[in-house]
Amino acid sequence: MTGAVAAVEIDGVTKRFGEVVAVDNVDLAIDDGEFFALLGPSGCGKTTTLRMIAGLDLPTEGSLRIFGEEVGMAPPDLRPVNTVFQAYALFPHMTVRQNIEFGLRMRRVKDPELSQRVAEATGMVRLSGMEDRRPDQLSGGQQQRVALARALVNQPKVLLLDEPLGALDLKLRQEMQQELKALQRTVGITFVFVTHDQEEALAMSERIGVMSEGRLLQVGTPREIYERPASRFVADFIGRTNLLEATVESAGTVRLANGARIEAETSLPAGSEVSVSLRPERARLHPRGTADAEGSSLEGEVRDITYLGHAVVYEVAVGPMSVEVRVEGETGRPFGSGDDVTISWDHGAAAVVAD
Amino acid sequence: MSGNVETGLGPRTRRLLAGWAWVVFAFLYVPIAVLVVFSFNASSRVNIWGGFSFQWYGEALNNEVITSAIRVSLIVAAVSTAVSVVLGTAVALALDRYRFKGRRALDGTIYLPIVIPDITMAVMLLVFFAEAFKFIDSFGPRFTLGISTIALSHIAFNISFVCVVVRARLDQFDRTLEEAARDLYATGWQTFRRVTLPLIMPGIAAGGLLALTLSLDDVVISAFVAGPGSTTLPVYVFSSIRRGVTPELNAISTLMLAASIALVLGSLALQRRRASASQQTQVL
Repeated sequence: MTGAVAAVEIDGVTKRFGEVVAVDNVDLAIDDGEFFALLGPSGCGKTTTLRMIAGLDLPTEGSLRIFGEEVGMAPPDLRPVNTVFQAYALFPHMTVRQNIEFGLRMRRVKDPELSQRVAEATGMVRLSGMEDRRPDQLSGGQQQRVALARALVNQPKVLLLDEPLGALDLKLRQEMQQELKALQRTVGITFVFVTHDQEEALAMSERIGVMSEGRLLQVGTPREIYERPASRFVADFIGRTNLLEATVESAGTVRLANGARIEAETSLPAGSEVSVSLRPERARLHPRGTADAEGSSLEGEVRDITYLGHAVVYEVAVGPMSVEVRVEGETGRPFGSGDDVTISWDHGAAAVVAD
Repeated sequence: MSGNVETGLGPRTRRLLAGWAWVVFAFLYVPIAVLVVFSFNASSRVNIWGGFSFQWYGEALNNEVITSAIRVSLIVAAVSTAVSVVLGTAVALALDRYRFKGRRALDGTIYLPIVIPDITMAVMLLVFFAEAFKFIDSFGPRFTLGISTIALSHIAFNISFVCVVVRARLDQFDRTLEEAARDLYATGWQTFRRVTLPLIMPGIAAGGLLALTLSLDDVVISAFVAGPGSTTLPVYVFSSIRRGVTPELNAISTLMLAASIALVLGSLALQRRRASASQQTQVL
């Protein structure tokens, strides 16, 4: 991607609301045509970041470029971006058609181009035939599609989506995830998408930026974020994980709080206090003494069992620590409470994260 | 049985309360019914029924003093409503949208004209006009009490009522709709024209109807600030009643009643539409 102009370039951007720092010195470049997710818990600054790209909030410091053009202080109507709002913000006094053509009318696009583009956008989100309905006569999913069409009809260079699926029920949300991905491939423009749902971010985006307390903690592909979290917060926020306190001994080994030595790659100096992130589904469970020689292992005792149908989650006491192990598609004799077990995992399955 | 569960009242209590409601209803509406019935009385004696007739409506509308009073009333109502709708809406928007110096003080005092007794307001306005005229007269032109002072006084109290009704509407207004419009390339003014104004319009219209009703009904303030030859209809009725109730007055009162009811029903209908519209936005 070197050489190409970034779709969105955020450079040292800070946003303060009075005393509160909502976004703290964020640097971020989003590539052209990328599906990018800003992920974080509520209040982490992700929505404020999105609103600054849209021009609905102005940065206190820093610069913001869209395809190389400085827009940090420009009003929203002068930016080549459009937004899909969290609760859609459809105009209740207008029909579906009037909602969709609003942006084009504001830019004085005339017929026949106007009707043609509205028809295209309506067809793209499969709402043909509903043009004369009002938003309150549509289901949540249909309203969502109107919001998408209303933004995309303007052919923005970047589409911003603020928790676009938050208001939908689970099944519809999963359908819309696929639809959004397909839509993004069809139109080929950059999608920047804000969510607090880590599964949604992993499933949909090409890259994720994880935010917390106004700071951008890590940017990477879903795989990088999940497998190689850069910090304890990221490891904990993305998926379920066991965070085991440890001390670095050398570049290849760390010592856990219970004294066990395990192999794990780290570039941190010896003596650093760290955590080892071990995903429950990456660990395996064996009867004591039958573990494979490869990789690392810990000995413990089953304390609690949660049966989920497609998987079983075991809580294993390892000294003072508690380790969760998730066994998918269990075969053979299940473990019982109080069984002595060995937890093992492949080399590289556990990640060392700084506190 | 289901009635018991819903209200917690026995059937006897329920019948008693229903009966009481009818008594209250009669207390409120029997005098009005009497007025309306006697406005169609053919006899010139107010309290003796002499058959059905439109005679007094005809006489009232042929009386030049009355028609002139109706004209003044309508002009004052139209002007004061139009002006107070614009100013009241502007104040409501300012109070809702902006943080400015003195906002809290203004927010607290904008409602004062609603609670100040009419008579206080009337004396206040009369004193104010007297002082203002003294000041203006010192520059040459001569102003006197008349239709314009009545209109100004009505504007003074109507602004508050319009402001209250419009603010209620603005409270429910979803500001992200304005952001959506801005995001879709609308300028600030276009956003107001295309999104904000249409959505608060039911509130503005309800406020306007309320202002119209209040202006048409006002006696006390109008009586104080009216000048010679500029009497409003309610003031005329009030002053002629001292010479005894005539069937003519019955007819005029009935007309005013009909106009007020029509306006109030219109205002209620608009507010109901507002309520159901806001329910819909909540469902969204």
